[in-house]
Amino acid sequence: MITRLLVVAAVLAACGAFAAWWRSREGRMIAADGFFEHADVGIGPRERPAAVLVEFSGENCAPCTTVETRLQKLAAELPDVRVVSIDAGERLDLADRYRVRRVPTVFVTDPQLRVIWRASGVVSEEALRGALLGPDWAGRPHPAGVEAERPRLPGRGIRSRGTLRRPRRAKPRTPARPPA
Amino acid sequence: MAARMIDRNAHRWGAGISAVALLVGYALDLSWMVPLIGVALGIGVLFGLRYSPLGAAYRFAKRIFKLDLPVIPEEEPPPRFAQVMGFAMLGLGTIGFYVLDNPAMGWTFGLIVAALQTLLAVTGICVGCEMYLFGKRLSAKGAA
Repeated sequence: MITRLLVVAAVLAACGAFAAWWRSREGRMIAADGFFEHADVGIGPRERPAAVLVEFSGENCAPCTTVETRLQKLAAELPDVRVVSIDAGERLDLADRYRVRRVPTVFVTDPQLRVIWRASGVVSEEALRGALLGPDWAGRPHPAGVEAERPRLPGRGIRSRGTLRRPRRAKPRTPARPPA
Repeated sequence: MAARMIDRNAHRWGAGISAVALLVGYALDLSWMVPLIGVALGIGVLFGLRYSPLGAAYRFAKRIFKLDLPVIPEEEPPPRFAQVMGFAMLGLGTIGFYVLDNPAMGWTFGLIVAALQTLLAVTGICVGCEMYLFGKRLSAKGAA
């Protein structure tokens, strides 16, 4: 009986440890690199939104709806922030190219569609807000010119293992573009 | 065609009921608990989660105790797949107990299901649902 109770306790402890590990990854903003092609996100080359939130969602994905609602709310609040939703099931080519392993996955890009952050799982509104209005866009100028000192985001500085790469066929971007 | 919707809370509470039943069954060495929960999961798998006895137990408790718990709509296919997994594992456990006369095998599968159900009930993490979504993307990729 004692042994069995110990086994039950071990099962519960293992569940707790797994849940803690999962939660530590869930919705965490991670600095990332790479580019989105304008055609992939349906934004014209001449358009210059302050930031773009690209969400990869999927059919039968309840958390995707939650994340989408948060993104839309932020886009309504913050001027010139665009939200792009991509169905990972329908656009497997894009999911592959941008290394989306699970849905929802959210990318935060600057006006030139350079990826600054990515997060998988249910990302909180606070984390999204911090990514958009935080002081540091991975060493690049913030699109909205925000330079005020703000608390660092948890997870800032950790490089994503699945960092994006520029697609092979993409033309090299010239630095001649005027900054937004 | 739009997928059928279920109440996410019923799914989680049902998982909690089955997890407690399996863990108590293991602690008290009640081997019949494994096929019993297996049948409960099997009914949900066969007829839909809205007919699952575990979900019905949740709805009954909610009505009797007047619990103010909201209905959180969720599409049925991923949780139903998760229950298929649970049903299969408890089926293997039952075979271990009553066909192969191997209680260790029976309880191993029973405890795996208990752990996954505990995870779902306490944290909302549905491993089977994640596997369903992952598999669906893989199959779509294979078909493309």
